[in-house]
Amino acid sequence: MFKYFSACRKESLILIRDLAGLVMLFIMPMIMVMILALVQEQGWSSLSKDPSIPVLLVDEDHDTLGAKIQEGLKSSNIFKIYTNLEGKPLTREVAKALIAKGTYNIAVIIPRESTRIIRHKVQVMVTQIVSGIMMPVDNPFLDIQSNDSINISIYFDPGIKGTFKYAFMASMKEYSMFIESTMIFSSFNTELKKMFPQYRPPKSDYKESVFFTEIFPAGKDEKAVPSTTQHNVPAWALFAMFFIVIPMTGSMIKERDEGSMIRINTMPVSYFTIFMAKVSVYAVVCIIQFILMVLAGRYILPLANIPALTIGSNYFGILLMMIVSSLAALGFAIAVGTVARTHQQAAAFGVVSVVVLTALGGLWVPVYLMPEVMRSIALWSPLNWAHVAFIDLFLRQATIVDVLPQICKLLIFFAVMISIALFYRKINSPLNS
Amino acid sequence: MSDKVIIEIRDLVKVYKGSEEPAIKGISLDIFQGEIFGLLGPNGAGKTTTISILCGLFRPNSGSVFIDGLDIHSNLNKIKHIIGVVPQDVALYPTLTAWENLTFFGNMYGLKGGRLKEKIAEGLHVFGLEKHAEKKIANCSGGIKRRINLIAGLLHNPKVIFLDEPTVGIDVQSRVVILDYLKELNQKGTTVIYTSHYMEEAEKLCTRVAIIDRGKVISMGNPRELVAEHPEFKDLENIFLHLTGKDLRD
Repeated sequence: MFKYFSACRKESLILIRDLAGLVMLFIMPMIMVMILALVQEQGWSSLSKDPSIPVLLVDEDHDTLGAKIQEGLKSSNIFKIYTNLEGKPLTREVAKALIAKGTYNIAVIIPRESTRIIRHKVQVMVTQIVSGIMMPVDNPFLDIQSNDSINISIYFDPGIKGTFKYAFMASMKEYSMFIESTMIFSSFNTELKKMFPQYRPPKSDYKESVFFTEIFPAGKDEKAVPSTTQHNVPAWALFAMFFIVIPMTGSMIKERDEGSMIRINTMPVSYFTIFMAKVSVYAVVCIIQFILMVLAGRYILPLANIPALTIGSNYFGILLMMIVSSLAALGFAIAVGTVARTHQQAAAFGVVSVVVLTALGGLWVPVYLMPEVMRSIALWSPLNWAHVAFIDLFLRQATIVDVLPQICKLLIFFAVMISIALFYRKINSPLNS
Repeated sequence: MSDKVIIEIRDLVKVYKGSEEPAIKGISLDIFQGEIFGLLGPNGAGKTTTISILCGLFRPNSGSVFIDGLDIHSNLNKIKHIIGVVPQDVALYPTLTAWENLTFFGNMYGLKGGRLKEKIAEGLHVFGLEKHAEKKIANCSGGIKRRINLIAGLLHNPKVIFLDEPTVGIDVQSRVVILDYLKELNQKGTTVIYTSHYMEEAEKLCTRVAIIDRGKVISMGNPRELVAEHPEFKDLENIFLHLTGKDLRD
């Protein structure tokens, strides 16, 4: 056992001697998590305070629909509406050309007569209903048909994000539904007034009566609210943790290149002891790295008006998950470091594979937004297992038993990686060269 | 030197993966306990391959090796306790000090505590390196690195020590210190097997030498006896050139 401790001491000394490298290992991930949180969280919150997404609005209707859509877009506080450019009213052709050039991202064209068509359609429908009450049989109004519809064109910059496009379309549909229902209500009032002169319509417009309250079930802590911090901090902390593949494989390959490993191979000590010492020391690095990123999420991000990270109260579970996630990351690094022959191979494969595992794991795009096939693949990413477990611990007050499946999967991943490293070393041992 | 064979090599063959030509072609040798045995040969002759097989770094394709009666194939771990290896290149951690390197390698041989400190201090003293104990290897000169490289292989008092060109690229003073120490070790009973390109050094130091070329032993014996057998060649270097030729090797 003392050979293991001696190897741990040697690894620690080598790490400490490269103080600048060690500081980078801790500081760079913290900077990364803060910048990404700022970019994402601050970006959206600043939008709501200072509308900055320009939308070209070509109102050929010049009536209620155009006015209401403009009003609705303005009230969202996300869009800045342009109906004139350089003192001239916008036209359909100009708007289309500006979107095609990429000068603007979105243009909405409300066609001529839109309000009149809707109004007519609503009037026909209301008249049929009301007359049906008055003349249930032989009603001439029942033969009137109105299948007219309007087509609002929306031009999108081809480079615009799909999710943003869907959100915009949903908003537009909401505005048009609201406008139609308001018109129906108003038409009813008008028709009823015609039929019953004594009828007094309500003084105020119809107000929506269905509201939505956001509740995020989180066990005992119902106040836990998901935020970009809550997704970003564990996600980027895990990403950084798996990036340990770069210094770790660097250390392994350097040891081989400098000849120290040749000397060790002639000594009565197993390769397993040597790399387990490496794993232990680098696991401490990973854990410190993770703790620093969590602390940044809790105490530094709120200084920039970003919601603080909620970590729940299962500290033992969090510590256990940190250890297990570190082992998974280090097992992967050991496998890459054993198989790779050069720094270039290790760095290229290490970086790309961690990025792929991160993307597949739903750390960039949530798994539920992925296509079906990718969702199935995501379930095989160790970063996904770790991320799911951390979210459960942080937000859902999960117990060790709750995250046990993820712990087991990560430990199995570690064991598989170590086995691959040992097997590869056995079949490619210098002994057999 | 005793009559006991400490290393028995029989029909050793090694072909590297991807190579058609064997690096060694059926070498057989007996090395006796307490010998200073020199493996001499031009570049690519098979010296380093032979030493690498003897210290367990490579596995031969065929043939057998017994060290102190133990089959290297089945008792490698036991053999590692009784051998010391000094690789051709300096195999130390550049960012660690001399003391830290020696402590780590000593620990790997199972040495610890006061005994290890004593052995390190002794090694540093013998090679005049006390004042460099706390210096990082990266900041040491080539000669100092070579000497520390040597100490690292000797800390556990091995029965057999393998040295692969231990004096290459160092000044005369360092070479003298290293060779004197090897002699001293040998007098205490350690068997020394070393490779070298320096014929004069081998002639003075070795009890026996084997001249290897193209993977085969082409001559073997006491250096002085070899010279006596070939009086026309005055010294070992001329015999070596006669046997291996003057063609440049890769």
